[in-house]
Amino acid sequence: MANLQFKALRKSFGDMEILHGVDLEIQDGEFIVFVGPSGCGKSTLLRCIAGLEEITSGELLIGGVPMNDIPPSKRGIAMVFQSYALYPHMTVAENMAFGLKLAGHSKVEVADAVQKAAQILQIEALLDRRPKALSGGQRQRVAIGRAIVRKPGVFLFDEPLSNLDAGLRVQMRVELARLHADLRTTMVYVTHDQVEAMTLANRIVVLNQGRIEQVGAPLELYNAPINRFVAGFMGSPKMNFLPCTLVAAAPTGATVRLEDGTLVAVAVDATGQAVGAALILGIRPEHLEASRTGGEGRARTAVRVAEHLGDTVFLYVDSPGGAGQLTVKAQPEDPLHMGDEAHLCFPAQRCYLFGADDRTLPRIA
Amino acid sequence: MAIVIDKSQRWRVVAAHVFMIGLCALVIFPLLIVVAISLRPGNFATGSLIPETISLEHWRFALGIPTPGPDGQMITPDLPVLRWLWNSVKVATASATVALFLSTTAAYAFARMRFVGKKSALLGLTLMQMFPTILALIAIHAIFSRIGHAFPLLGIDSHWALVLAYSGGIALHVWTIKGFYETIPVEIEEAAIVDGATPWQAFWRVLLPMSLPILVVVFLLAFIGAIIEYPQASVLLRTQPNLTLAVGSKQFLYAQKYLWGDFAAAAILSGLPISAVFILAQRWMISGLTSGANKG
Repeated sequence: MANLQFKALRKSFGDMEILHGVDLEIQDGEFIVFVGPSGCGKSTLLRCIAGLEEITSGELLIGGVPMNDIPPSKRGIAMVFQSYALYPHMTVAENMAFGLKLAGHSKVEVADAVQKAAQILQIEALLDRRPKALSGGQRQRVAIGRAIVRKPGVFLFDEPLSNLDAGLRVQMRVELARLHADLRTTMVYVTHDQVEAMTLANRIVVLNQGRIEQVGAPLELYNAPINRFVAGFMGSPKMNFLPCTLVAAAPTGATVRLEDGTLVAVAVDATGQAVGAALILGIRPEHLEASRTGGEGRARTAVRVAEHLGDTVFLYVDSPGGAGQLTVKAQPEDPLHMGDEAHLCFPAQRCYLFGADDRTLPRIA
Repeated sequence: MAIVIDKSQRWRVVAAHVFMIGLCALVIFPLLIVVAISLRPGNFATGSLIPETISLEHWRFALGIPTPGPDGQMITPDLPVLRWLWNSVKVATASATVALFLSTTAAYAFARMRFVGKKSALLGLTLMQMFPTILALIAIHAIFSRIGHAFPLLGIDSHWALVLAYSGGIALHVWTIKGFYETIPVEIEEAAIVDGATPWQAFWRVLLPMSLPILVVVFLLAFIGAIIEYPQASVLLRTQPNLTLAVGSKQFLYAQKYLWGDFAAAAILSGLPISAVFILAQRWMISGLTSGANKG
């Protein structure tokens, strides 16, 4: 078991700086998820922890010990790769035993550890098989088993579920959560899938272009994103953004005008902004309401596409008065259809306002 | 796989078969002639493909079995063909092994490591090997003559000198193996390194077992190359008992007398070790050794 500390960690490949100074503390036993779009540096950061990439500057500590110059095998970590990276010429048991054998453990110890890990992952029946004869989900389990047997202080997962089909992904997600509850070991998990991040993490680290945007518990990030990037990244389907201008701002709330002239009241303290300032209104699809009847504070638009998923309906509507499209998550009872006229309602408590610098304006609880 | 074929396609199929059968005949015909010559009495290069009388005199000669001469006396063959064959096999096995060792490790460096001058080194290696060996013969002779003064074991007329000379020609092997390594995901070796393997262990215990097919191919190529090589062997080897079969066979053909029959028997003998190694190696030339490592 171990905690991790990053101090102004930077990583460059040649002239290209990928990580621009990462400061972060990960508690012992925490399940932490690095999330962000492709190329944001999340995998690089994980590889820096593993020691597969040298750290250009700054410091990395695992369990309080500086790790910058320690080789991967001595860092007390185990890693599960996106492609599983099993040894194809070894059986499942040999795959799992490889690390222990190299470390010079006795045959009995190795067999014991492999057996225990196989029990946890329910792959005892597969121990004599080659990876070739396994399904994707089974290979994934073996890869995890290979990490478990080493009893590492920190588990590193690099998008471990992205190669699985949707059903299996959900199943493995649940098993990973259970595994963490059982082992209580620090886990660092990289994904670009915000659903995995929301469901697995104790805390989420949102990365963008080599910088940490926000660190926090899943619901904290969902409810109180500090800027437009985090707001757009967390939640699925992603938050709707509409350009607007500030009409009135008071400590009790603000009023903005949408591009089509509709006035919308929002529970945001926008007193720091000048009246007439161009802002961005954000609202999640699950909070945006679309109805057949108009009224005050409602914006008229049309439904372009309606997707019926059974339990919900996603309506894709034209952005009122502007280009682009908004998503509405609606109830399946009496839904709007393609081509219908829709009147959008923006509940004041559910709206976010983003300033010109994309930072979230303080909301009134 | 049974794609529906247009009728006009049939003639093309027939034509393709005729072409391929012709090609096969072209390849097999010379071999059959050599077999025929070796079984024909007397030393004639011409004659019918199927000999009228079969004589084993050339084979007795090649295998070193004494034959009764015209005066009834037993004559022991004066050329040590079997010994030459053994020399060839010895040199080929040793040089192919050394070449394999050097090229697998060099290819690993070129495929996986980052170092200054990697590109130019790879290019330079290949460019140098593009010059025909014949042009370097005098240099090779001079070099080994010089080495021989310091280390007689590696001097002229030593098999080890020949092994050393052959082992230098690995540029193409390095390219071949490097290309194969690059098809193997790096993540597998990274997993081994995280598991506690040293770079050498990751190479030896993880990468090499997956590369078996290409290693076998390279070993075969190096082995065949050494068995049939003539120019360097002819310069480096001097005394009759030390010759390889390729060089020694030349002694059947001197200006006054062309011993075509004996030559043919020796030629077939030289093909035997190649065939044997090939058959042995075939079981390792299997595809799909890396399958299962990834999602697949």
